[in-house]
Amino acid sequence: MLPQGVIAFLDRAATEGRTSLPDRDCSLFLSGILDSFTLVEFVTVLEKECGIRVEDADLRPENFDTISKVEDYVRRTREQ
Amino acid sequence: MTAYITSVGAALPERIVTNAELGPLLGVSPEWIESSSGIKQRRWAGAETSASDLGARAVADTIRTSGEGTERIDYLIGCTMSPDYQVPGVAPLVQSKVAGIGAIPALDIRTACCGLLYSLQLARGLVNSGAAGSVVCFGTEAQSKGLPLDHAHAEISMLFGDGAAALLVQPQRAPAGISLRIDDVAVFTDGAFALDLVVRAPGSGNGAAWLGAEQLEAGMHLPWMNGKSVILHAVRKLYDAAAEILARNGLSVNDIDVVIPHQANGNLLMLLAKRMELASDRMVVNLDRLGNTGSASAFIALWEAKMEGRLKPGARVLFLAFGAGFTWGAALATVVA
Repeated sequence: MLPQGVIAFLDRAATEGRTSLPDRDCSLFLSGILDSFTLVEFVTVLEKECGIRVEDADLRPENFDTISKVEDYVRRTREQ
Repeated sequence: MTAYITSVGAALPERIVTNAELGPLLGVSPEWIESSSGIKQRRWAGAETSASDLGARAVADTIRTSGEGTERIDYLIGCTMSPDYQVPGVAPLVQSKVAGIGAIPALDIRTACCGLLYSLQLARGLVNSGAAGSVVCFGTEAQSKGLPLDHAHAEISMLFGDGAAALLVQPQRAPAGISLRIDDVAVFTDGAFALDLVVRAPGSGNGAAWLGAEQLEAGMHLPWMNGKSVILHAVRKLYDAAAEILARNGLSVNDIDVVIPHQANGNLLMLLAKRMELASDRMVVNLDRLGNTGSASAFIALWEAKMEGRLKPGARVLFLAFGAGFTWGAALATVVA
């Protein structure tokens, strides 16, 4: 599960995009919640709320495309 | 030893292409272009004008402004993503088009939108080593000629404009007017993301032929960008580069009077300014009028900052750039009279 702060960020982005949070496996990009610029802020929020550092090699949009992928990424990073 | 930027010059195409003209060609609204990029218009070169034509005009303007004779120039470094030809580079062509420049070294460096930073570092090294005394660096683009004007490529074709500018690096300050003392340059590369911002063909990485029907059909000769990746990396790496160069010079962002960034995208610059806690009026911005002029953009922004009187004696200037490669970095300079 992602921290509440991360979900709150996505909720706000969804509201601004006049949509709602999609299913865990639906694209946050295609559903209009994240774009090139909100992705930058999302990664910052993710690092802060999850206490992780997203390394440069992992700065790939596909790592943050769905809620499931974000959860997987956070889990893998914490296990390292 | 110390090196100074002692003169700057520029050349812009006359033709202005507004969003109202471009939008219908790309199947998007003029308002969408502006809200997505901050760009209202750009300049495009005419059919008979090449990158070397613009570059030669900018170099000649720089030398003329310096008061030096062209015969005093002893090194030429060119930056472009839209060369006249695949081979040779643009610098030899510019050398041939500026009357009076001798048979000096003239080379291209292919660091895309980071051209100013990389050429500045090389020029400073040449001057400090004594290998050269008057090095002209220039960025020039006629990249509108390579833009696909269709809806599928709207995200990239809305961005780019043409133009050129140049600067002169010498071991001593200019006898009159202002110079910029080059205090530090920090440049970086991460080739793991080389294909996130790319023009693949012609190229020897494309199989048996570097440009054939197959590559043309696949659009490999056209610019391609993973926009999300580029913006994600650009904001972080520009911030990190700024933080590093400020820290190693014992400065904070509050010590910087003028920021001259590569003019990538207005929204990206706003995000960067926010992250740096930088007052937006300290950032030189011209992309609303000129678009993203690629390797020329930071050169042009420097020229505009000087022409607008923003470079006051004592001012500290921070250059920032990010480009294909990925390449990125920062430079620090101080304005001296």
